[in-house]
Amino acid sequence: MTEDKILWTAQYVEGDLDEAQRLEFENFLTEDEELKQYLADYYDIHSSLEMELAVDSQRSALVDTLQTLNIQHFTAEQPKVVKLSSYLRWVSGVAAVLVIGMFIWAPWKGNLYEQFSTAPQMNVAERGAEVSDLDKAAALFNAHKYHEAKIALAKLKSADPENAMVAYFYGVSLIETNEAAKGRLLLEDLFKGKSVYKYDAAYAVAMSYLKEDKKADTKFWLEKIPDGAVQYEKAQVLLKKL
Amino acid sequence: MAKKVHEDQRYVTALLNNNVALVNEIYKKCAAKVKSFVLFNNGSADDAADIFQEALVDIYNQAKYKNLELTCPFEPFLLLVCKRKWLNELKKRSISPVTKNEDDLLHIGEDTFEQAEILETQKKQSALFLKAFEKLGERCKEIITWSMKGEAQEKVAEALGVTYGYLRKKKSECMASLVKLIDKKND
Repeated sequence: MTEDKILWTAQYVEGDLDEAQRLEFENFLTEDEELKQYLADYYDIHSSLEMELAVDSQRSALVDTLQTLNIQHFTAEQPKVVKLSSYLRWVSGVAAVLVIGMFIWAPWKGNLYEQFSTAPQMNVAERGAEVSDLDKAAALFNAHKYHEAKIALAKLKSADPENAMVAYFYGVSLIETNEAAKGRLLLEDLFKGKSVYKYDAAYAVAMSYLKEDKKADTKFWLEKIPDGAVQYEKAQVLLKKL
Repeated sequence: MAKKVHEDQRYVTALLNNNVALVNEIYKKCAAKVKSFVLFNNGSADDAADIFQEALVDIYNQAKYKNLELTCPFEPFLLLVCKRKWLNELKKRSISPVTKNEDDLLHIGEDTFEQAEILETQKKQSALFLKAFEKLGERCKEIITWSMKGEAQEKVAEALGVTYGYLRKKKSECMASLVKLIDKKND
């Protein structure tokens, strides 16, 4: 076992050792400096990679804040003290109201739907060298070819009606291709179930209402996403904006 | 002995929690200084905003994933990080900066330099690790990517259509391959 300390370290951290093996590792660790170093390196590499690969909704929320503050602190003109005639004062008052209005309206930020509806990626596990129908559907979906993806996913759905992943991406494709009502029915069913896509489905339904500017329905669905779910942070940020 | 965490750690926490009021305070203290430094050194206001944002996101990353604990005041630390970033950017654009070195920063404490150095090194390192990761096989990349998304590992296993036990085994193997790839590079 000890001839490959790197693998051994990985197995230890990832919980891939049984109780006796784990204790053996920890025993070695008290004396083996090399093993200690491997363990420290492992944590270092793991956290660095996590930093690069994590889908971090808190980070996205921070970036939104920074972008808003950038406009205020970097691009907005610095105030200048100048004397104004009463006419100019009136005009500048109107302009100020317009500018403030523009900041609140903020058309350059896109609408809320564009900000919050990030198209999910359909990740399909490889099951062999051959490209399956599922792979093809995933490729179409990820390329945002929702009309074609919808057709491929409909076939997969009728072949395997219990497959939650297919149901979820089929539902999203329907919404993206203006068949919101049908898509929602499917996603609502998914939400009632216990699959891993439960809250993804709730978020997607919320997005479909947001697209139609139905704020009450959007809120209703966002509120179904509990703390701890992947979409929770994003849902909370959007709820505040609504 | 471990160094005492500076009270300005609250700004780092503000970034982690997206505390808009406190983040705005960071802008009020530092944005104008970074802007004038960049404008004075052949940059635009947009360049300054980009650098500023990037520095704050780097600090966020460092805090969240590497447990950054500030042992120096926040303001000189952020200013130093921004200045270094801009000088590097100028180098990339092959423009000589007006400020040739960090003379104007001599009054900054050693701790500040050290922390800025760590931030820069770790960022470079993560980029290298990511490059090594790209060299792994497709299946390993898929498994690692999924398991790092921040979701429960049981959910990851289900999404990948494998058992939790298999996921742990495969992830250990893939991560071990990655560590070996990185190890070889360092030799």
